[in-house]
Amino acid sequence: MTGEAEQIMPRVPVKPFYFNTSAHLLRITRQKATTLEEFLQALRECPEGSIFQHAFRTLEEHHFIREGFSNDFAHWAMSACNESSLAEGLASVDVREFTSIAELREHFVQIVQSFLTRAPAAATRSARETFYFCASDTVVIPTTFIARTLREFAEGLRGISVHSIHHHFIEARLRLKLMSNDFSQWLHEDLGLTEAARRLNRIDIYTVTMEDVREQIVRVVERALI
Amino acid sequence: MEPVESQIESELPVRESQADVSVASPALPERKERRRKPRSWETPPAPVPPPRLDDYKAIVGAAEIDELRFLAKGLKGKTVKMVNSTAVGGGVAEMLNQLVPLLNEVEVNTHWDVITGGNDFFEVTKAFHNALQGSEYQLTQQARDIFLMHNEQNRKRMQFTEDVVVIHDPQPAALVRERQESSRKWIWRCHIDLSNPSFAVWDFLRPFIEQYDAAIFSSQSFSRQLAIPQYLFYPCIDPLSEKNKDLEESFIQQVCDEFGVDRSRPIVTQVSRFDRAKDPVGVVQAFKEARKYVDCQLVLAGGGASDDPEGAAVLKEVREAVGEDPDIIILDLPPWCALEINALQRASTLIVQKSIREGFGLTVTEALWKGKPTIAGAVGGIPNQIIHKLTGALVHSVEGCAYQMRYLLTHPDFAAQLGQNGREHVKENFLMTANVRRWLLLIRILLAVK
Repeated sequence: MTGEAEQIMPRVPVKPFYFNTSAHLLRITRQKATTLEEFLQALRECPEGSIFQHAFRTLEEHHFIREGFSNDFAHWAMSACNESSLAEGLASVDVREFTSIAELREHFVQIVQSFLTRAPAAATRSARETFYFCASDTVVIPTTFIARTLREFAEGLRGISVHSIHHHFIEARLRLKLMSNDFSQWLHEDLGLTEAARRLNRIDIYTVTMEDVREQIVRVVERALI
Repeated sequence: MEPVESQIESELPVRESQADVSVASPALPERKERRRKPRSWETPPAPVPPPRLDDYKAIVGAAEIDELRFLAKGLKGKTVKMVNSTAVGGGVAEMLNQLVPLLNEVEVNTHWDVITGGNDFFEVTKAFHNALQGSEYQLTQQARDIFLMHNEQNRKRMQFTEDVVVIHDPQPAALVRERQESSRKWIWRCHIDLSNPSFAVWDFLRPFIEQYDAAIFSSQSFSRQLAIPQYLFYPCIDPLSEKNKDLEESFIQQVCDEFGVDRSRPIVTQVSRFDRAKDPVGVVQAFKEARKYVDCQLVLAGGGASDDPEGAAVLKEVREAVGEDPDIIILDLPPWCALEINALQRASTLIVQKSIREGFGLTVTEALWKGKPTIAGAVGGIPNQIIHKLTGALVHSVEGCAYQMRYLLTHPDFAAQLGQNGREHVKENFLMTANVRRWLLLIRILLAVK
């Protein structure tokens, strides 16, 4: 859909947008690793909640950091194993390219496996610190923000917590099973603002803080309001 | 191996003796004189009423408080009993003093009970506490009998009618024998580091622990393999307490003046009791190395030297390491000097916690909360708080500590970024509101509240 077509669409959504958020409780699982060999094994066996925690949730926990932190696996590979090429490979994984934890797990496994094929001596070298696999237990919570118009949507975006931004913008693809997010889905399906929806999906979540992500989302929505 | 302090216990243990302020600089007699009688040391301040949830809005935001209230909604009318071994003193009691009123405020009816016992019981549990954190200990049948007898007496004395029973630490762990087939849930909250326990004591306690529905640890690395679910609850600080609340600039200046701290030069501070695990001598050595390159002063603020023979010995070693150095100020403070500690932390350019053994390290949390670039030993719960080069600097040696001091003192923009990230990290994970959130979530999950 073109920008011109968007301008003639009505700005009253088919259904309101209900802002939710999620609260997470960390569980300590049985898996832990003191070498890369153990890490690979644990990566294969850990519950899906662990992959979610260390790849998705960690972004939310460290939402204030702009650089040098993409997921816990990459961080451990660098800080505890001093394996920079493995760390770079793991850090390059963008969770938004995955709509299921199983695919994401497989991708991490392949990266580690391929590294250990190239550097077999690294497999049994002791890491400086143990990697403990944790997992998230999640409870979804409604917020007081409901958007019945695009303007209310922009206001809601400003008022919700960064946890809510993470819930709708990053975690959502696991629920939707789509390469998208709740905000883009609503803009596209309920308001016909397809270009704005696409713009949101181009926001880089790895080089900015979650507050920066919020700012960028708000800017896209405010542009659509004009 | 010596025991590591409980990670939630105060860094400044309660003692009855008065403050002793010693100054290494004979060149500044007038300052020394002033430091002998700092503000309000004679008596502890009156306790302040616990904060209410809305008091935290200005700090964590209204959305966060709304979320807590929603989480509590489904639990309205549910009852919780917290049980520990002391009503006053120590970090667990301090935390419960804040947590229990906040849970009651959101209508999760929470009752706090304290077990009773004779000297024999508390001697045994103190030995268990140390043994579970790595001390050598010979577990005797008599010790087992004393532990079980007092737990049994408490079990008969108490009533367990609540929906959720939370037992804190090993002392009352055997109360779980009261557990019957019912929907009531039992949680064991372990505040100590079990990563390297005396197996005689752990093997004795483990069968009790595995009767609980869940266990909670303060760090992944403190846990053990158990047949029950284990959750991670980080210890927390209260941003509204005297130790952490915002202070007037004039008060900070007044405290620095009283202690002879020169605010026109960079200040490096370590706050911790005089204990070898905190490596105060290593801090002095690192400081002296760093000062070759950058002008600065060191403040070592702690306690525990007057009522603890080992503390006094450590303080003596520190004084020997300091020598006649006019740039190092040693403060042996009483435990009620929270405001003064707060002021010193806020006046500091850098904060150091160069521990070689540590619990969770709440002094690090306090430093990060004040937005201070922090250098700390990579031990205990400190790596949970400091992500190297992102929320602070982790070090493993005197040399590493000296280098980080030099680097951060000469790169103030980078240091400021670390401080800012550190504060956000605490806001996200280590404040009292995060603790309330975790309790509400766990109770909801265990009681299967939708």
